Amino acid sequence: MKIRSKILLGFLILATMLALAGAYSIFEFRLIGTSVQNLLDDNYRSITAAKTMIEALEREDSGLLLMLSGKWKEGRETIRSADGAFRGALETAGNNLTIDGELNYVNAIRNRYKTYARLWDRPVDGADQQGKLKWYLTEVHPRFMNVKTAVQSLMDLNDDAMYDTASVLKNRAHRAIMPGIIAILSALAFTIVFNFFINIYVVNPIISLKRAIDHFMETNEPVRVTVETRDEIHELAASVSDLTSMARISR
Amino acid sequence: MRPQIVIRYVGFVLLFNALFLFLSAILSGINMDSALFPLLYSAVVTALLGVFPIIFVPGPDYIHNQEGLYIVVSGWLLSCLVGALPYIMWGGPFTFTNAWFESVSGFTTTGSSIISDIEVLPVGLLFWRATTHWIGGIGIIVFMLAVLPATGHAAMVLSKSEISSLAVENFRYRTRKTLHILLVVYLGLTVLESIGLLLAGMNLFDAVTHAFATIATGGFSTRNLNVAAFDNALIELIIMVFMILSGIHFALIFLAMTEQAKRLWNSSIVQYYLVSMGAGILLVAINIHGRVYEGWLAAFRYAAFQVISLGTSTGFATADTAIWPGFAMLVLIFFTLQCACAGSTSGGIKADRMLIFWKSFVSQFRKLRHPKAVISIRLDDTVIEPPVIEAGLLYIALYLIVVFISTLVLAFMGIDALSAFSGSAAAMGNVGPGFGTVSSLANFSLLPAAAKWVLSIVMLLGRLEIFGLLMFVFHRFIR
Repeated sequence: MKIRSKILLGFLILATMLALAGAYSIFEFRLIGTSVQNLLDDNYRSITAAKTMIEALEREDSGLLLMLSGKWKEGRETIRSADGAFRGALETAGNNLTIDGELNYVNAIRNRYKTYARLWDRPVDGADQQGKLKWYLTEVHPRFMNVKTAVQSLMDLNDDAMYDTASVLKNRAHRAIMPGIIAILSALAFTIVFNFFINIYVVNPIISLKRAIDHFMETNEPVRVTVETRDEIHELAASVSDLTSMARISR
Repeated sequence: MRPQIVIRYVGFVLLFNALFLFLSAILSGINMDSALFPLLYSAVVTALLGVFPIIFVPGPDYIHNQEGLYIVVSGWLLSCLVGALPYIMWGGPFTFTNAWFESVSGFTTTGSSIISDIEVLPVGLLFWRATTHWIGGIGIIVFMLAVLPATGHAAMVLSKSEISSLAVENFRYRTRKTLHILLVVYLGLTVLESIGLLLAGMNLFDAVTHAFATIATGGFSTRNLNVAAFDNALIELIIMVFMILSGIHFALIFLAMTEQAKRLWNSSIVQYYLVSMGAGILLVAINIHGRVYEGWLAAFRYAAFQVISLGTSTGFATADTAIWPGFAMLVLIFFTLQCACAGSTSGGIKADRMLIFWKSFVSQFRKLRHPKAVISIRLDDTVIEPPVIEAGLLYIALYLIVVFISTLVLAFMGIDALSAFSGSAAAMGNVGPGFGTVSSLANFSLLPAAAKWVLSIVMLLGRLEIFGLLMFVFHRFIR
C-alpha cells in the first residue's frame, strides 16, 4: 500500500471512530429528549392530577364537616367546587393512561368516589351532634379514606414509573457519553501509534536516505538504504540508488 | 526489540476479538436488545485499531522470543481492555473497575463476577461474556494462530510464549500440528457438550454459553443461581463429564480419540488427577452427609459437582459451599490450589507439578535413608530432569507467595481472612468462587474497587503462569 493510502487510511479510521461516537451520542441524546418529554407528559401529568384529587377530597371532607356543624350553605358550596376539581382531575388521569394497569387504578378511584359522593346527597339530618359524629366516623370517613388510598396508589404507580424512566435516562446519558470518551481515548492511542509508524516507516527512511546521499557526496560510495515497506519511500530509495550508481559511472 | 512487530501481531489479536464482538452484536441485533450498539461500536473500534498496524507494518521474517513474550502479554492485556468496552458502554453495574474485572475474569477463565443480577443482562452481552471465556480458555494467541494460515516461525515463538511450559514439554508435535490438535479437541468438546446440554433440556443459548464456560473451565453462567438454577441431575452430570475432560491434557484426549486410548489411562498425571479428585469427592461427601444433606445420594451429587468444578478450575456451582463444614471447605481449597492437568484449559498449580512435588518429596525422603543412592524422578517412561523439577517447585513456591501477598493486601483493605485467602487462591487458580463473602452463589460486587484491581492482576498472573507477566513488567530491570 502506498504512503498516501496509508495516511488516508489513518485519518479515515480516526474520522470513523469519532463520527460513529458522535452519531450515537446524538441518537442517544435525542432519545433522552423524548424520554424527558414522555416523563413530563405521561407521569408528571398524572401525578399532578392525583395531587389535585387528594386536595379536592380534603376540601370535600371539610365541606361535609361544615354541613354537619350547621353551616349548610357554606359546606354545600365547598363540596360543589371541590367535586368539580376532583372530576376534572379524574378525567385528566383517565385520558392519560400510559402505564400498564393504570386504567384499573383510575376505575377504582371512579367507583370508590361514586360511593363516597352518594353520601353528600343525604347527609344525616335531624340527628343530634353525637349522632352526626357517629355517622361521619362510620359512614363517611372510611369511604373518604378508600378514595384517598386509591388516588394515592395511582400517584405511587406514576412515581415508580417516573423513577424507572429517570433510571433509563441515567443509563441513556451514560450511553451517550461513553462512546465519546472511548472514541477520544482510542483516537489518542491511535494517534500515538500512527505517529510512531510515520516515524519508523516514513521519517526514518528519509533521514537514512539523506544521510546516505550526504555520505555519497563525500565519499562517492554507493547509496544503499534498506526500506522494509513497498511504497513510495522504497521506490525513492531504489531511484536514488540507481541515480548514484549512474553518477558514479559518469564520474 | 521491534515495537512495530509487537503492535502488528497485537493487531491480529484485536481483529480476532472484533470478530467475536461482531458475532455477539449480531445475536444482540436478532434479539433487539440494549447491548446492540455497545457491542457493535466496540467491534468497530477494535477492528479499526487492529486492522491499521496489519496494513502499515510489513510481516516480519522472524520473531524474537522477547517480542513473542511482549505480543502474548500485550495481546492479553488489550483483549481484556477491549473486552471491557461493551460492559462500560452498556452501563448498569459496570463502572470501569467492574467492567475490567468482569473482562479479565472472562478472558482468564476465572469466572468471578461482580454482577448481582445476571438475568437482567441482555442476551448479546451474556453471549459476549461467555465468549470471553471461550476465547481465553484455549489462549487467545493460540486460538488466533490455529485459525490464521501461514504464520510460520511466528507461530512457534508465540505458541511457546503462550502455552504453559509444562504443556509444551508434553506436546511432542510440530507447532502447526499442536495448534491443530488444540483447536480440534477444543471445538469438538464444545460442540459435543452443547448438543448434550440441549438434549438434556437446556435451550440453545444456555447450552452454548454453558458449553463455552465448561470447556474453557471458566464458570460464567447465564443464571443468578448458576447451574443450580436448572436443578437437573442430567445437566449436572453432562457438565461434570466435560469439566473432567477439559481438565485433561488435550494431546492425550486427541490420542485417545484417534489412536491410542490406553495412553490416556496409562498417564500417571491423569491417574493422579482422577484419583485425587475421587478421593476429594469421597471425603467431602462423607463430611457433608448428615450435616448439610440427609441422603448419601444428595451428598455425593453435590460433593462431586463442587469438587470437580473447583478441581478443574471451572467454578460452576450447584450448592452454597459457604455453609458447608470447615473440613469440606479445606478440601475444596486444596483443589482450588491444585486444579487439573497442564495442556488443558485449566488453571492453578496443576496436577503435573503437584505430582512432581509429591515424587520429589518421596525421593528426598529416600535420599535421607540412602544418602549415596542416585534416585531419579520419573513420570511414566520419562525421567524428569532436575531443572524441570526445580522450575516446578519454584513455581509452586512463587504461586503460594503470590496468593499469600494478595491475601495480605485484601485483608489490609478490611476483607475477612477467609474471603481474602479463598478469593486470592480462586483468582490465582482462575477458579472463580471462594468462600465467605465471595462464595459460590455470591459475587465480588461488595469488594472495594482496589481489591478488584488486585484480584484482576492476580488472575492475569495465574493465567500467564506468573513469569510471563513478571517478565513483561520487569523486563527493563532484569537483564
